[in-house]
Amino acid sequence: MDQNEWMIQELERAFEMSRDYKQKALLAAAKRLIQEQTVRIQQMEGELDGTLWSPRNWSE
Amino acid sequence: MKTLVVISHPEISESGSQQFLLSSIPESESVKVHHLEGVYPDSQIDVAAEQELLKQFDRILFQFPFYWYSSPPLLKQWQDEVLTYGFAYGKNGHALSGKEFGLVLSVGIKESEYQAGGKEVFSINELTKPFQAVAVKTGMTYLKPFVIYQFPYMTEEQKMTLLIDYQQAVTREADDSLATREKWIIQELEKTPEETLAPGDELLMQHAVDLIEENRDTIDGLKMVLDEMNS
Repeated sequence: MDQNEWMIQELERAFEMSRDYKQKALLAAAKRLIQEQTVRIQQMEGELDGTLWSPRNWSE
Repeated sequence: MKTLVVISHPEISESGSQQFLLSSIPESESVKVHHLEGVYPDSQIDVAAEQELLKQFDRILFQFPFYWYSSPPLLKQWQDEVLTYGFAYGKNGHALSGKEFGLVLSVGIKESEYQAGGKEVFSINELTKPFQAVAVKTGMTYLKPFVIYQFPYMTEEQKMTLLIDYQQAVTREADDSLATREKWIIQELEKTPEETLAPGDELLMQHAVDLIEENRDTIDGLKMVLDEMNS
């Protein structure tokens, strides 16, 4: 499991254990943010992969 | 940044959405809540005091229930009396220039009705044009409106999201890029109270901050490589 996945699970656990409503809301938001970062990284890696394989660069 | 939340609501204690928003506001010296009907129950507005108050803040939010496509009457009266020539506009009237101005609206009808073809026909952006015009005339930067549709129908999860989004509308810089939202979440994780966390989870907060920063470095690095390849 990578670090982001692990952290998402840990934040879910901390959410359940927290005794404060605003803190729970923050932990849920931190989880969503890390999920969004994960997607962003995957998209950029995908774009990089696509760029490397782009026919535009074959002749270079 | 200092934010003034000017609330107008004739029956604020009866309003679930307003009570929820009030309890969501972070306790901070940089945020002041100013409930007009509470301060002026007789509608006798102290214009000089209000103008002095406005000068002290960088962001001014009007928060109210959307009544007949506008604000409750005291907020309109407040605008008529406080935003005077020579203070808010006209020659030498630059007291508000450069500040940010935004609306926080609670709306009883669902979002999809506020568009052509919907029951309300017009969008919130169309219906709030007078407030946008106030921002232009006074030299303030108009922020994206923060609209809460049908609060009573929200799930617990949606309410928690609303709480964080509202806190950001009040305290975060206006740009809503991922990088800006990361900065805000980091700042909040760093000051979240340890005593309401499970024992040991204060370390997890630090770890989360580190991970968000590492992810940012990764994103910035990828962006640099991509920019270079596409140039």
